[in-house]
Amino acid sequence: MAKDNSSLQATTGTAGLFVVAAALRLLLFTAFPGLPNLLTGRVEISTPVTSFKRLQEGLFLYNHNVSPYDGGVYHQAPLLLPLFSLLPDPSTYPIFTYILYILVDLLSANALYKIAESKEGAISRLYTSPRKEKRWSGYIVAALFLLNPFTIATCVGRPTSVFTTCAILHAVAKALSGNIFTSMLSLSFAAYLSMYPLLLLPPMVILAYDRTYNPKAPKSLGQLAGMCTLVVGGSLGLLFLSSYALTGSWEFLSSTYGIQLTLTDLTPNAGLWWYFFTEMFDSFRSFFLGVFWLHLSSYTPALTIRLRQQPLAVTTLLLGIFAIFKPYPSIADTSLFLSLVPCFRHVFPLLRYSFVTSSVVLYGTFLGPAFYHLWIYAGSGNANFFYAITLVWSLGLSLLVSDLAFAILRDEWEVERPEMRGKEIRQI
Amino acid sequence: MCGSTATASALFVGRSPTLQKAPPYISLLLILVGVAWLFMLPLNDYSRRTYISENALLPGQVHTYFGGSDQNVLRAYRHEVGALENNTNTEVNDKLEHMFRSMGLKVGRQNYTYTTSGNTIAGENVYAILQAPRGDATEAIVLVAAWRNVKGEFNRNGLAVALALTRYFKRWSLWSKDIILVVPPDSRAGTQAWVDAYHDSHDSRRVADLPIKSGALQGAIAIDFPQEERFEGVHIVYDGINGQLPNLDLINSVTNIASGQMGMGSSIQNMFHHNDEYRDRLTCMLRGMVNQGLGHAVGPHSSFIPYHVDAITIQPVGQGWHDEMGLGRLIEGTFRSLNNLLEHLHQSFFFYLLMQKERFVSIGTYLPSAMLIAANFTITAIALWVKSGYAPKKTTGATAKEAKVDVIQEKKEGADTKKAMRESPEDLQPTVERELYLPLSLVTGCQFLGFVPLFVFNHVPSSLLTPLFIMTTLLSLTLPHALSFFLVTTYKPTHQQYQLITSFFLLLLGMFLSTLATLNFSLAFLVGLLATPLTFVHPFRLVSKLPAAGYAYSALLSLLNPGVVVLGAAVATLHSGMGLGLAGLDLTPWEAIQKVLEESAFGWGVWGMYTPLIFWCVWFPAWVVGSVVVLG
Repeated sequence: MAKDNSSLQATTGTAGLFVVAAALRLLLFTAFPGLPNLLTGRVEISTPVTSFKRLQEGLFLYNHNVSPYDGGVYHQAPLLLPLFSLLPDPSTYPIFTYILYILVDLLSANALYKIAESKEGAISRLYTSPRKEKRWSGYIVAALFLLNPFTIATCVGRPTSVFTTCAILHAVAKALSGNIFTSMLSLSFAAYLSMYPLLLLPPMVILAYDRTYNPKAPKSLGQLAGMCTLVVGGSLGLLFLSSYALTGSWEFLSSTYGIQLTLTDLTPNAGLWWYFFTEMFDSFRSFFLGVFWLHLSSYTPALTIRLRQQPLAVTTLLLGIFAIFKPYPSIADTSLFLSLVPCFRHVFPLLRYSFVTSSVVLYGTFLGPAFYHLWIYAGSGNANFFYAITLVWSLGLSLLVSDLAFAILRDEWEVERPEMRGKEIRQI
Repeated sequence: MCGSTATASALFVGRSPTLQKAPPYISLLLILVGVAWLFMLPLNDYSRRTYISENALLPGQVHTYFGGSDQNVLRAYRHEVGALENNTNTEVNDKLEHMFRSMGLKVGRQNYTYTTSGNTIAGENVYAILQAPRGDATEAIVLVAAWRNVKGEFNRNGLAVALALTRYFKRWSLWSKDIILVVPPDSRAGTQAWVDAYHDSHDSRRVADLPIKSGALQGAIAIDFPQEERFEGVHIVYDGINGQLPNLDLINSVTNIASGQMGMGSSIQNMFHHNDEYRDRLTCMLRGMVNQGLGHAVGPHSSFIPYHVDAITIQPVGQGWHDEMGLGRLIEGTFRSLNNLLEHLHQSFFFYLLMQKERFVSIGTYLPSAMLIAANFTITAIALWVKSGYAPKKTTGATAKEAKVDVIQEKKEGADTKKAMRESPEDLQPTVERELYLPLSLVTGCQFLGFVPLFVFNHVPSSLLTPLFIMTTLLSLTLPHALSFFLVTTYKPTHQQYQLITSFFLLLLGMFLSTLATLNFSLAFLVGLLATPLTFVHPFRLVSKLPAAGYAYSALLSLLNPGVVVLGAAVATLHSGMGLGLAGLDLTPWEAIQKVLEESAFGWGVWGMYTPLIFWCVWFPAWVVGSVVVLG
């Protein structure tokens, strides 16, 4: 009964939070009619593979029975098109699009609430943190996600990456509740939309395995992994087939995933790739594309093996790494990473560079648009200005990722070596 | 974010007691160096002579042929323009359109209606396009002759010169860029409406579309020539909106042609008698900085600059022997130079401070002074953050009981042994968990509070502006006392929380100012300088047990309250020659304040000037929070 009461309270609490968050977004959408389009145009929010403007272009072509990939502007998944063509035209009745994006944000927050409430951050099957009492409730974690300025800016800027965010968070939440099939389905949706979430498959399998582990009848991990791969492969295959049926050709594969693999669109963004590849001689291009992708994907096995005991930590760290090193990152990816960080409240006292990190990220947030303005509009700066700031931004994020990894490892280490608790460590 | 260990903190000031005390002195040093730096700039060793960087310009290398019978044409135009002085905007434009058509030009007209501070500013621009005989309409140069200049004087000669020049230009076959003559009815809103619409970034409810257009604008010259007598030299006005400046090559070309070819004097920043000594150079530079910092339009050219169109206004000044034809030849020479350009002006500097028409400092030399001032805030912020992570030395009262003390036993080994021995045991302070909620919510709350006056002052009618502003200033003077009282009675903030409050608002201030310094150096420098006392705020009553000192410091801060500063500046500049554009207007202080506030609302609404935003959302919140800390 008491439990019912508290869950009821929690529900009303989150309902209040959701209403506030939705109202805030709706207010921003309606009170500042120029804001959505302004943010849609920002390179920090919209990348070539997520931009809402490009989606509209694709939608226009699609609605006029032309292949949406003609013209080389639209690089997003084909199944987004029927979804958006169901909605009234965003330029005349924008409110429906707004409501859709607000709902997606709330769904993500709901998944995040479940993730935080599962306490997986501090207590996994194989590992229990000595600091487990120190944690934030799902309410706080969801609030930190919903009221994060990056999340709000992303929602108002309407890139399609919010759907990927939502799918990834749901995949994690479902894996935590032991619902393996739905989790894998959700993950394949995320992978279908943005491709990179496929790299999250190993930690997700382990997460699902740990959460469904029954000590009386243990199943083999390999078996589960095979099954999960089959589910993901099957659902991706179905999605591809329906995309083929929709567009009538396999062109979409090269226009969506091919673009990410070969980086043919060099529009500036918050990441590290574009500048590098604008400077690159063509003969080295394919080599470095291989290097960059190999670098990005090498983190998955490494972290999965090292942090086998804490699969949620692996997922979080990987999302942080993707937000830095993927080909077209935006603040949407950052906000996804930052949304999972509060699940590790218990290791916050072990973070060493919290102030430096937050200052660097704050400085990057303000200097980025200023330098972009100097480069593009004022004409008094050049591309190096903006790239310098993306370096600072990535430095801030990588500090956070490495600091979090350090804190998590230190927390593990103190379980193995209780006598070292509280002692300072130094690199030799 | 909440926690800390000594590891990172030790990077900065953790261990050494001398280093712990250093940050305020470092901050003070940075401020002093920053200010001294600025005063060094006019010296010969730190400033440079100007030079023409873009070789395509070739200023003064062509013969100018505007003269002879064109003088009769000019005189005729002057009569025609003079006869129209008391006609309405539409009648004037009808007549001008007729004149343009008889010259064989394409003509367009554009209506605009702006409403700011309850006043409606409406008018109709008329403009004509001379199509380049050798061009393909991809590039254009603009000649602006507003009907009235910024002071509201009738620009009779300016318009006559522009008309005669256009007619004369039409006869030449050497133009490779289109020439557009724009005649707005005023110098403040008209050009803005025209440029906005030319670049399709206008709000079509207020500004009409342009019926005809030409290519990308390569440069713009505005003529402001209301005086009837012959003139001595030209005054070049170059400040753009938000302190953006035109490429230095453009200014250099005009001074070069004026002095080298025409034998005219030229001057900048209202310094008509510049003897090129330290004092004059400094005054000139400071006037430039004030104009840049205010970020308002100082001439019809200002609106062009945000669109990356290099533009200046040329004003003939003084009593001398040059006539309108001389001005015409100067403009002809400049247009020939611009006509030569193969690409947009980019060679020379966009960030500079001119201290004489031929002497400047570039960004690399002057930026450190604003950055040092911004850095002083950041350094104190970092130091306070680190300090707040340590428990107070004497564990007293509620502070230590509430704070969860997490003792870190530092064990030194090897090479560190000596150092460890030198440190007395009480220097090894325990670390504490930081309580962030109160500081974060106070700083964020005050930051958002700034949007209220920003909204109000950009929307109330002009008659209410002055009383409302004085009321707001008085309110803002009492606000810290009320807030502090509220905080002390309700939350009883600890010393650590005050440190965190200070750290956060200084961090934000330092960050805003260093970002701003890259966009508008002067504004960042001025705001930074006026905010420097905020670096040294400290809860006097709680920590030093000196409530009187707190009130004294608070009184000092009250003198530097943003509102008080604006009121003071508005009144003080009434009679001096610089800043705010109020000199010689013969206003009462009340009207002067109203004029400043109207200008600010006008700038925000029409020009996209962000100075009010900096004022209300950077400076004002920092001042409020700083004053609260002092009173704590």
